[in-house]
Amino acid sequence: MADAASGSADKSVQVKLVLLGEAAVGKSSVVLRFVSNEFQANKEPTIGAAFLTQKCRLEDRVLRYEIWDTAGQERFHSLAPMYYRNAQAAVVVYDVTKASSLEKAKTWVKELQRQANPNIVIALAGNKVDLVQPSPAAAGSSIAESEDEADDATATPGEAGADASEAESLRQVPREEAQAYAEEAGLLFFETSAKTGEGVVEVFTEIAKKIPIEHILASSRGAAGRPGTGGNRPAGQDGVNLDESQTKGKDACNC
Amino acid sequence: MATISTQLRNFKEPDKDEQALLFFSIPSSGSSGKGQEGKPTSDSHEKMEINAVLSLGGQSQEDPYAGRLHLIPPYLAFSSLDRKSVKFTLPLCTIRRVERLNARAGIYALSFSLWHGMKIVVQLTSLRPTADLFCELLSKALKVELQAGRMKSVKGFSKTCYSENLVLESSPVADNEREDGSLIDGGEKVGDGGAPIFHGGLGLRFKFPGDPKKLREASKTKLWTNYLRVHGRHLTLLRYPQCTRLVQVGLPNRLRGEMWETLSGSIYLRFANPGTYEQILEENKGRNNTSTEEIEKDLHRSLPEFPAYQSEEGIGALRRVLQAYSFKNPETGYCQAMNILAAAILIYMSEEQAFWLLEVICDRLLPGYYSTTMHGTLLDQRVFESLVTRCLPMIHDHFEAVDVQLSVASLPWFLSLYINSMPMVFAFRIVDCFFCMGPKVLFQVGLGQYTSLTNAILKINGEKLLQIQDDGQFIHLMRDYFSSLGDSAHPDSPDPRARAITRFQELLLVSFREFAIITDDTIYAERRRFRGEIITSIESFSKRSSIRNLKSLERFSKDQVGLIYDALFKAICVEPPPAPVPPPVTLLTTKDAVEERPETRIELRTFRVFLSEIATWARDEKVVINGFQQRVDREVAEHELIDRLFYFWDSSFRGSLSFQDLVTGLDGVMFNDLMENIEWFFNLHDKNKDGFLTKDEVLTLSESMLFIFRFEIGDAYLGAISRFMSNAFEYGDALLPQNEEDAGEDALTTPIESNQPYLNLATFRMVVLADEVLESFFETDLSASFRLEPVPLMELPATNSGFLGGIWSNIATEDNKKLFHKLSDEVGKTIGKHHVVHRPSIGRYTRIEEPRARESLLTPGMRRSPSKSSLSPTSPTAAEAPPAAAVSTTSLAPSTASTDTTLSPAEYNSLSLVQAANAALMERTPFAIDDAGDEDDSDEDDSDSEEDDGVLDEVDAFLEAHDSGVTDADRALAKDLINAEPVKQ
Ligand SMILES: Nc1nc2c(ncn2[C@@H]2O[C@H](COP(=O)(O)OP(=O)(O)O)[C@@H](O)[C@H]2O)c(=O)[nH]1
Ligand SMILES: [Mg+2]
Repeated sequence: MADAASGSADKSVQVKLVLLGEAAVGKSSVVLRFVSNEFQANKEPTIGAAFLTQKCRLEDRVLRYEIWDTAGQERFHSLAPMYYRNAQAAVVVYDVTKASSLEKAKTWVKELQRQANPNIVIALAGNKVDLVQPSPAAAGSSIAESEDEADDATATPGEAGADASEAESLRQVPREEAQAYAEEAGLLFFETSAKTGEGVVEVFTEIAKKIPIEHILASSRGAAGRPGTGGNRPAGQDGVNLDESQTKGKDACNC
Repeated sequence: MATISTQLRNFKEPDKDEQALLFFSIPSSGSSGKGQEGKPTSDSHEKMEINAVLSLGGQSQEDPYAGRLHLIPPYLAFSSLDRKSVKFTLPLCTIRRVERLNARAGIYALSFSLWHGMKIVVQLTSLRPTADLFCELLSKALKVELQAGRMKSVKGFSKTCYSENLVLESSPVADNEREDGSLIDGGEKVGDGGAPIFHGGLGLRFKFPGDPKKLREASKTKLWTNYLRVHGRHLTLLRYPQCTRLVQVGLPNRLRGEMWETLSGSIYLRFANPGTYEQILEENKGRNNTSTEEIEKDLHRSLPEFPAYQSEEGIGALRRVLQAYSFKNPETGYCQAMNILAAAILIYMSEEQAFWLLEVICDRLLPGYYSTTMHGTLLDQRVFESLVTRCLPMIHDHFEAVDVQLSVASLPWFLSLYINSMPMVFAFRIVDCFFCMGPKVLFQVGLGQYTSLTNAILKINGEKLLQIQDDGQFIHLMRDYFSSLGDSAHPDSPDPRARAITRFQELLLVSFREFAIITDDTIYAERRRFRGEIITSIESFSKRSSIRNLKSLERFSKDQVGLIYDALFKAICVEPPPAPVPPPVTLLTTKDAVEERPETRIELRTFRVFLSEIATWARDEKVVINGFQQRVDREVAEHELIDRLFYFWDSSFRGSLSFQDLVTGLDGVMFNDLMENIEWFFNLHDKNKDGFLTKDEVLTLSESMLFIFRFEIGDAYLGAISRFMSNAFEYGDALLPQNEEDAGEDALTTPIESNQPYLNLATFRMVVLADEVLESFFETDLSASFRLEPVPLMELPATNSGFLGGIWSNIATEDNKKLFHKLSDEVGKTIGKHHVVHRPSIGRYTRIEEPRARESLLTPGMRRSPSKSSLSPTSPTAAEAPPAAAVSTTSLAPSTASTDTTLSPAEYNSLSLVQAANAALMERTPFAIDDAGDEDDSDEDDSDSEEDDGVLDEVDAFLEAHDSGVTDADRALAKDLINAEPVKQ
C-alpha cells in the first residue's frame, strides 16, 4: 500500500472523471484543451463516450485523469450512468450564451448527486466565455490562433468584459446566477473558454485538490485486493501532450 | 427526460411470417415507403411454403439442395434445410418463364427461367395437392406482377447495377479503372453509347481506402465475375456456399456497395420505391428541425480522414442521406453514430443506395439501436455480456471482479459496426460479413476479439487482459489490439505462409469458427430473454428522471409521486397521446422551437384513464360472480365531472396536462380538510371564477355529487343531495342580492337567469354543513376517494436478471386470463350463476354483511388478494348478489336536465333530479359487494381487449404448425428423394 502512494510518477493516482452537459456546449473542446492544449473542430466523433487521459501534478502527487467525454445527444442520456459510475469527479458544462444549457446542467447535477458515487467532486463550468468578452484584437469572435489569444484572455480573468456591451449582450447566464447556484449545490464553479484556454486548467487543478486521494488509494488497493498496480498499463495513448505552454494555471497543475 | 415514452411496451415479437421476412431480407410492407399503397398485391397476398429440392441448370457445378420454397408475394424465396448454405430471394418480376417439367411419374418439378438467363429447377416434394395449390398461388401472384407491369422495370433497374458491366465480356469500364476500382477519368458516370449507368460511391472519385494490391482486388473481382455470371446478380442473386466464402475474404471495392444492398435486401426497397429518395428530399427542402441541426454538427466529424469528407461533395451527400432518413423516420430522426454508418457506406454506394441501406440497418438489422431510448443498443450490450459469460467465463468473471463494464469498450463496436474502432479496411470486411450473415456477426467478432486478444497477449506478455483493473486500462488494451490488426499473427513462425496471416484474418477465423454456435436464432432468443429487463431499467430510469425533474413534488413524498407517475404511465399505455406526426403534440420535439424541451402532455382521453386509476369514482367497477370465480372488471367512467377536473387542472390553458399539472392538481385535493374541500369543490364548479355559482352550476354540482355517489349503497346520499338542492335554492333565493324587491314573491314569476351569479362560497358552505352526510363526505371521503396505490399492470418484473420473457409472459397470462374470464362467464350464465354488481366508490354506508366468497377455482395468484389496500376507511363487507343476470345501473340524472332552465327550483327539486335519483335508487340492486377488500383489484383485465390479436396470432401459428401440408409421409419422401440420384445433400 505504501508503494502505491509513493511519489513516483508511474504510480500515479487514477481519477476517473466524466464530462456531462448539453450537446455543443463544448465538452469535447474543453477536454481537448486540457489534454493537448489545442482548440479545433472535433476529429473524433463521440460514440457513447470518448476516452482520454491526462496527468496532472499536484504538489508531490501525480494524478492521472481518465476522462470520459460523453456524447451530448439527449438520447445517449440513458447510457450516461455507464460512464459516471465509479467516477470520482465530474465536470458539468454549460454554455454561457445559452440559458437552457444551464437548466440541463442542473438536471445533470441532480442526477449525479442522487445516482453517482456519493463522494463525487462536481465542478460546474460555464464555457465559451470568450464570446461574452470584448475581443482585444478584432471585434466579435475572431479566429485568432489560440495560443496567441491565450495571453490576452488570461489578462482579463474574472471580471469578464465589464464594459463590453456588444459582447456581453450575448451572455444569457449571468456569472452571479450560476455561481450562486453552484454554491448552493456545493459545486466548484468556473467560467471557461476552450477557445482561449481560460479557466480550463483550473477546473482540473481545483478538482484535483478536492479529491480525497487517500480515500481513493485506500479503497482501490485495500478493499478490492487487486493484484496489479496502476503503473502496469500498456503504453499506447499514454504519451499525452505534456506541453510546457500550458503552465498558465498558476496553481501549477503541471500537465 | 420530460417525455414519457411507452413505445417499448408496444414491442411485439415477430410472428412466423415476420420471421420469414426477416430471414429472407424481404421488406415488410410497412417499411416499403410511401407511394406504393395502390399496388394491387393485397388481394393476392397469399403466402405458402413447400418442401422443395433446388438445382441450378446451366454450366454450374452446384449440388442440388433440399429445403423450403416460400411464396411471399411479390417474392419467391428458398432456403436450404440448414438455413445457411443456399438461399435466394427473387422478386417475382425477375421470373421470365415457369414450366412444369415432364418427368417420371410421381415427380413434380418446375423450371424457372430468370431475368439473367439462369435456369433453376425446383422439385416440389410435398404431396401432390399441396404442390398443385402452390403452383396455383404462384401463377396467380405472377399474373398480378405482370398486370402491374413490373416485369418491365427490371431492365431499367439492372442498368443501375455495377455487376451488369462486370459480367460483360469486354467491360467498357474496365479500361478506365484504377487498380483499386476507382475511375481514372474521375468518375463521370459512364453513360455514353448505351453502356450501363451504374450507381457507385464516393470512392469512385476519391479512391477507395486501402492498398488494392494488398486487398487483392483484381483476383477477388475475377472470382466474383465468374460467380455472378453463373448465379445471377443483384435482384436475382442465388446464394450458394461460395458466395458466403467470397464475402468472408472481403468484397472488391467496386462491387461492394451493390453486394451490400443485395445481401442486406435494401436493394428490394430501392427497386420497389424508385424516385422516393429524391422525392423525400424535394418535399422537405429547407426544413429545419432538431435532427437537421444535430446532423449539421456531425457532418465534419464523420470519417474526416477520408478525402471526400473534406470536400463539399462528400459532405453534401452525407447531409442529404442523413436528412432524408430523418424526414422519413421522424421518430428516430438522427442519432449520433448514424453519421459514421452513412459516411462509410457512401464510400461504396450512391446516395439512393445508401439511403435504403441505412433504412434496413436501422429498421431491421439493428432494431432500436438508434431510437430515442436506444433500447436496442442497451439490449444487445446485455446480450453480448451474457454471451461473454457463457462463452468466455474466465474473462467475464475477472471483469466482474474488478468491476469493469464490457460495454464501455463494446458499445461503439455495435453502434458503428466496428467502423471507427478498427482500421477502415478491416472494419469494412466485418461489415461485408454483417450484411451477408446477419447481426450475429457483430457478436461473433466481439467474442472473437476477446479470444484472440487473450491468445495473442498470452503469447506476447502474459495474461494482460486479465490484469485489467479499470475501464481506462481496458480501453487502452483494446485500442492497442485494434491498431495491431494488420500485424502478423505468427511473426516468429518459420513458415512464411503462417507469417503472412494477419491478426485480422485470425480474428475472423476464430470468430466464425469458434463461435459458429452463435446463430441469429441465438441472438433473437437472447434478445427475447433480456428485453423485459432492459425495458424495466429504461422505464425506471426515465421515471426517476421525470420525478427528479419535476419543479415541485408539492406535499407528496417521492414514493407517492412515483405512484402518480405509474398511473400516468399506464394511462399513456392504454390511451396513447396523439402520434407525434401532426406537429403540435407531445413525445417528440416541436418543429422549429429547438430550444423548447419536449414534454409529454396528455389529453382528456388519456386523463380519463389516469383518473380512473386514482379516483374511486372515476371508474366503474363491476364485481362479477359466475360460479367459478369472483373478480372485478374495471372500466373507465365518463362524466362531465371528470372533464371538468381536467380543465380545472389545466392551469396554462393548453388543453393538455403535464405530469407536473397532475401532481399539482392532486395536491390541491388530497391534503384538504373539510373547509378546503368545500372550497375546492366549489371552485371546481365555478367556471368563471367570480366567486359565485350560477343556478346551472348548482345543478351541475349536484349532478357531480350524484355521479360520485352513483354506486353507493342505501339512500343516504340521494337523500343528502336532494336536501342539498332544496336548501341551496332556498338559501340562494333568500340571500340573493340583486333580487331584493322580488324577495318573498313567487320565484316562478321572476326567475333569475340560470346563468347569473347566484350562490357564493359562504352560502354553499352553510348548505353543506347543514347536512351530516355531506359534511362527512367533504371532511374525509372526498380526499380519500383519491388513492395512490400501486398500479398492478405496471408492476414491473421484479428480478434484475434471468427474467424470462419479461412483459410478454405477462401478456400471455393476461390473454389466458381474459379467455378464462369469458369462458367462465359463459358457463356461469348457462348455469345461472353469473351476477354482476357495481362496487361503490365511497363505501361509507355499507351495511350488508358479506357471506364469505365461495371456493374459487382460480389459482391463488389469480385470485385477488383480499387486502393490500391502504387509505380506504371502510371495512371489507360483501353481499351475495341475486341469482339474476347482469345488473346494470344506468347513469343518473341525464345531463340535459341542467340546460332545462325554465323550471323553478322547487320544480327541479321535486321533479327531474330527485325523480331521476329515486328512479336510480329503485333500479339499484339491493345487494352489494364490498369495497375495501378488493382495493388492489387486478385491473389486468383492462388492457385485454388489445391483446386479442396476440391470441389469434398464437392460434394461427398453432394451426400452421400442424397444417402446413407437411406430413410424416412427405418428410420421408423428401428424405428419400434427397438421398436418391441425382439429388444428394
Ligand atoms: N467560441 C467558443 N466556441 C467553443 C468553445 N468551446 C467549444 N466551442 C465550439 O462549440 C461547438 C461545440 O463544441 P464541442 O466541443 O463539440 O461540444 P460538445 O458537444 O459539448 O462536445 C464547436 O463548434 C466548438 O468549436 C469556446 O470556449 N468558445
Ligand atoms: Mg462532444
